[in-house]
Amino acid sequence: MQMTNLKLNATVITVVFAVIFAFGISSCGGNTDVVDSGTYSGTIKKVEPEKTEIYVTLEDGKTIELYFIEETTLTKNGEKVDFSALAKGQEVEVEVKKVGKRLDPISVTIKE
Amino acid sequence: MTELPGFWRTEIWHPLSVHLPLAVLVLGTLFFLISTIIKSVFWEDMSKILAITGTIGVWVGIYTGNLADSAVSRQICDPTVLKAHEVNAYIVGWIFSGVSAIIILEYFGFLKKIKKLIKLALVILSIIGSGILIYTGHLGATLVYQQAAGVHIPSEDCSEFID
Repeated sequence: MQMTNLKLNATVITVVFAVIFAFGISSCGGNTDVVDSGTYSGTIKKVEPEKTEIYVTLEDGKTIELYFIEETTLTKNGEKVDFSALAKGQEVEVEVKKVGKRLDPISVTIKE
Repeated sequence: MTELPGFWRTEIWHPLSVHLPLAVLVLGTLFFLISTIIKSVFWEDMSKILAITGTIGVWVGIYTGNLADSAVSRQICDPTVLKAHEVNAYIVGWIFSGVSAIIILEYFGFLKKIKKLIKLALVILSIIGSGILIYTGHLGATLVYQQAAGVHIPSEDCSEFID
């Protein structure tokens, strides 16, 4: 009986921790990766309009975080579009420049 | 000539708001431990008040941190540290929100049947939460002291300080 209670307590505490960590990590887009300068294809995982920031999951499964800078160009069908044109799930091609471990987006092209 | 930026910049609100919950929650955890060892209701009540106060402070800190994020993320050289700081801050926020929820539910008599488990959960969650909180603070400090996040670096000739 005591052993059963102990197992129940351990299960409850484990579940509580799992939920807390899941909330914590998902609340801010999760951990991100750093890649070399270059052009990459991927899917938008998250858009944060108030920070003009996007998270892109690349074809190899890595996730990069891109804060738009003044030089960043955003295009769709060859035309410049506003940041509001970006949405979760869109296929994009991004050209990034690695500065230290920071990735500055030079261009973002919406494919669809 | 470089111009001295105003003090009350967006990123200033974060350091102004994070130190109180940091101190309060670590102290609250210490009081939890003392109350467990000496079985004192006074220390337990104090720790609960500090835990709830600190939890509110953590979410204020996360809000101001998100404001500061926009201002500094384009300037620092290693945003992965900023991301780790952010992820850990959210984990701390949810841990102490769990602690506060348990305290409030217990106060209103909802958890009478599992009082021992509650006590154990509060102590374990608070210790782990405080550990992650201290690490989060360490990451925040490295952002400031190694990457000058949110810091104005004076010009070589200090010309912006001349009237």
